[in-house]
Amino acid sequence: MKLGIVVQRYGADVNGGAELHARYIAEHLAPYAEVRVLTTCAREYLTWRNEFPPGADSVNGIPVERFPVEHERSEADFGLRSDHVFSRRHSLNDELAWLESEGPASPALIDRLQKSGHEFDHVLLFCARYYHAYHGARAVPDRAILVPTAERDAALGLALFGPIFRGVRAIMYNSPEEQALIHAAAANPHVPGVVVGIGSEIPGSVDPRRTAAAFGLAGPYVIYVGRIDANKGCAELFDFFLRYADARPAAPTLVLVGKPVLAIPDHPRIRHLGFLDDRDKFDAMAGAAALVMPSYYESLSMVALEAWAVGTPVIANARCDVLLGQCLRSNAGLYYANAAEFGAVLDMVLDDRALAAGLGRNGRRFYEQHYSWPVIEGKYLDMFASLSSNPPAHRMEKLPGWLARRQSSLRPAAQVLDELPSGPVVGVLA
Amino acid sequence: MDHNQGRRGHFHRGGRRGPDRRGPERRQVPGPGPAPDQASRGERNDRVDVEQIMREIRARIAQRSGVDLSNQQIHELAARRLEAILDPRGLKPELLDQLRRAAGERTVPVDAAPSAAQSYPFDEATLYDSPNGFLRFLRKLFNPLLRLLFNPTPVAHALAQQSRLNTELLQREADRDRRQAEWNALHYEILQRLALEVSRVSVDSQSLSMRVESLGTKVDFNERRVRTMEGTQARPSRPQESPQAAPQAAAAPSVPTSEAAPQPSAEGQPAGEPSRRRRRRRRGRRGPGAGVPAEAGVNAPAASASVVDMDEGDGEGDEGFEEEAAAEPVAVPGGPEGPPPPLRSEPVALDHQLPAATEHREEPAAAPEPIRTEEPPHTPEE
Repeated sequence: MKLGIVVQRYGADVNGGAELHARYIAEHLAPYAEVRVLTTCAREYLTWRNEFPPGADSVNGIPVERFPVEHERSEADFGLRSDHVFSRRHSLNDELAWLESEGPASPALIDRLQKSGHEFDHVLLFCARYYHAYHGARAVPDRAILVPTAERDAALGLALFGPIFRGVRAIMYNSPEEQALIHAAAANPHVPGVVVGIGSEIPGSVDPRRTAAAFGLAGPYVIYVGRIDANKGCAELFDFFLRYADARPAAPTLVLVGKPVLAIPDHPRIRHLGFLDDRDKFDAMAGAAALVMPSYYESLSMVALEAWAVGTPVIANARCDVLLGQCLRSNAGLYYANAAEFGAVLDMVLDDRALAAGLGRNGRRFYEQHYSWPVIEGKYLDMFASLSSNPPAHRMEKLPGWLARRQSSLRPAAQVLDELPSGPVVGVLA
Repeated sequence: MDHNQGRRGHFHRGGRRGPDRRGPERRQVPGPGPAPDQASRGERNDRVDVEQIMREIRARIAQRSGVDLSNQQIHELAARRLEAILDPRGLKPELLDQLRRAAGERTVPVDAAPSAAQSYPFDEATLYDSPNGFLRFLRKLFNPLLRLLFNPTPVAHALAQQSRLNTELLQREADRDRRQAEWNALHYEILQRLALEVSRVSVDSQSLSMRVESLGTKVDFNERRVRTMEGTQARPSRPQESPQAAPQAAAAPSVPTSEAAPQPSAEGQPAGEPSRRRRRRRRGRRGPGAGVPAEAGVNAPAASASVVDMDEGDGEGDEGFEEEAAAEPVAVPGGPEGPPPPLRSEPVALDHQLPAATEHREEPAAAPEPIRTEEPPHTPEE
C-alpha cells in the first residue's frame, strides 16, 4: 500500500499541532505502508517563507518531497480578506482569493498530485482550511482522506469547504465535537468518518524530581504547555491566576512552558521555563498538580492527552467544546468558566489529593483506551481497508461557473458559524 | 422597591438561618445520592464523576457568595434598573424605543443622502424639459422666440445654484442627524453598560457583606469558645483562691466567664494567668451581651449560662461556625490556605500497556465527603 501525506509544513523541528500530528501518523503508519510526505518548503506558518530547499528530503526515515511556496502571506492582505469574507456578504471568488492569500500557495505541490497522485492508494490531507488541502482534495478526490483538524473558527463557515467535506473519500476526525461541527456545517454524514485523534510519544518513565530540581520548582505547581498567546486563552489564564494567587498566600506556582507571544506578568508565583525538550516537558507535566488548558478553540489538545498519559489531571476552559467534552468523557479533568470556578477547581485539585489521583488514573485509562498508538493505527488501517474494498460512493462537486463564482450571494462566515450547534458531545467515546 | 424585593429572592440569606440547616440536623440530611461513608470513599476515587464534581463546585460557589445569579439574570437585573433610571413617565416612550433600536444596531440607519424630491436637480435644460416628447419638441422649436423676449439663462443659473445649496444643506443636516443618532446610541450603550456594572457590583457587594457577617459570626463564636475553654482550664485552680472569693465563685458555679475572671486574679493568680487574661479581652463582640462590660459582675451567671449553651451547639455562634465549615467542604487540615500538599517527587515508571500497574500519587487515608445538592444551580452548558 502506498500512502501519501500532504501537509503544509513538515520537519523534525516543526512543532505545530497539525504538523506534529502528520509526522506522528507518517512515522507510525510507515511499518504498514510505503509512506511519502508531500509538503512545502516553508518552516514558519505566519509568512510561509521558503526555508527548506525544494526537492527530495528525508525526516526520521520518511521520504519527503518539498515544493516551493509561490508567494508569502501578506498579513495585511489576509486580514482584509478575512474581514471581508467573515463579516460581509461575498462571492465564492472572494473566498478563493482568501484561501490563496492564506496560503501556503504551492501550485507545484498541487501539480504533483494532479499528475501523479494516482500512484498513491490513499492521500491523507491535513488541515482542511489551507490551500494545499482544498486544492489537493480537488486534485485527487477519489483517494483523498481528510484530517480536518478543524476548530470552531469562522473559516468553517466559508462555503468553499462544503464540497470538500462532502467530496473526499473519508474524514478522520479528532474529536466527536469536531465531527458534529463539520456534519452540521457541510451536511456530510454520508462520507465515511471516524473519530481518531492522535497519540503521542510518551516516555517510558518520568522523573518529576529531576525537573523540579533542575528548574528550582519548590512546592506544588500547575503547568501550562504551549504557545503563550492571547489566542490560546493565556491572557484570561493570567487574569484568573493572579486573582487567585493574590487571595491565597499559599497559592501554587503557575509554570509556563512554551514560546511567549504575550507578555508574561511579573509575579513571584508565575515561572516561565521557556521551550523544553520532551523529557523535561513530560517530567514537568508529571510533577504538576494539574495541567491548565485555557484555550477557547481546539480540535484536539495533544497536550491534554499527554498530561493524561502521565497521570496528571487537566483543568480546562469550559468554553472550549472539545476540551469540555474530553473532560466529561474521560472523567479526568475539571473545567472553569470564570475566575471563581477557576479558583475553586484549583483548590479542589490541590487539596483533595484523592480526587486528583482519581482524575489522573482516569486520564491514563482514557489515553490508553482511545489514544494509544495501537488504537490509532488500527483505526487508520481499518479505514484504508474499508475504502480499498469499496468503490467511491460519491463524487466531488464541481466549482460553480464563471458568473456564479462572482455573485455576492454568500453570507458572512461568522454568521454561518454562529448558527452551527455548539457544546460538548457527551456519551460518545472518542 | 420592587426591584429590591425581586432581587432578594435570589439570595439564600433566609435559608442560611433556617432550621433545616442547623448543626447536626443539616449533617444528617442526605443528598440526592447515598452519603458516602469511610469505606466507600476509596471506591469513589475510581468512580470520579466530573460533572457531579463541577455541579458541587458551582453549588458551593453560589452558596458561598450567597448569590445564585447567572450572567443572564444579571443582565435582566441591569435591564430592570435601567428601566427605573430611564423612567418612561419622564421621557418620551418613542425616544426610548429609538435609543434602544439605535443601540442594538451596528450602524445607525439615517438617510445619508437627501431624497430626489428634496433635492431637485436643476440645470439650463430643465426649464424646457417635459415628459411629453411633442411638448419638448415644440419648446425646442420656439426656444429662439422665447430668448428673443427675455434671457432665461440667469434664471436657470439662479435656480441651479439654489438647487445645489438645497442639496448641500440637506446633506449636512443628514450628516448631523446621523452623528447625533450615533452619539445617542453610544450614550445609551454606555448607560446600559454602567447599569450592568452597577448591578454586578451591587450583587458582589451584597455577597461580600454576607460573607463579612458570616465571618463576624465565626469570630464571635470562636471568641466565646476560647473563653469557655479557658474557664474550664481555670477550674482546678479554684482551691488556691482566697476565702473571700469563694462566695462569689459559688454564685457562678458552672463555668467562669471573662467577666468573672478578674476577681480571682486580683487576689493571687497562677503564673500563666496574665497571658490568658490578655486573650480574654473582648474584640468588638456583637449581640446583646457585647456592650455591657460594666455590669459583668452582676450578669456573670447569665453570661456563663449563655456560654455553656453556645458550647453545646444550639446557639447562634455555633451555627455560624457550622456554616463556615460547610462553606469549605474539602476536609484538608489547615484549610485551603493551609500547608500545600507535597510535590510529587518520586520517579514514576509509565507502563502504557498496563494502565493500572503504576500509581503516581499518594492516597490519603480518607477522601472528603462531597456536598450534594438537590438541584444543581448550574450545568456545564451554562
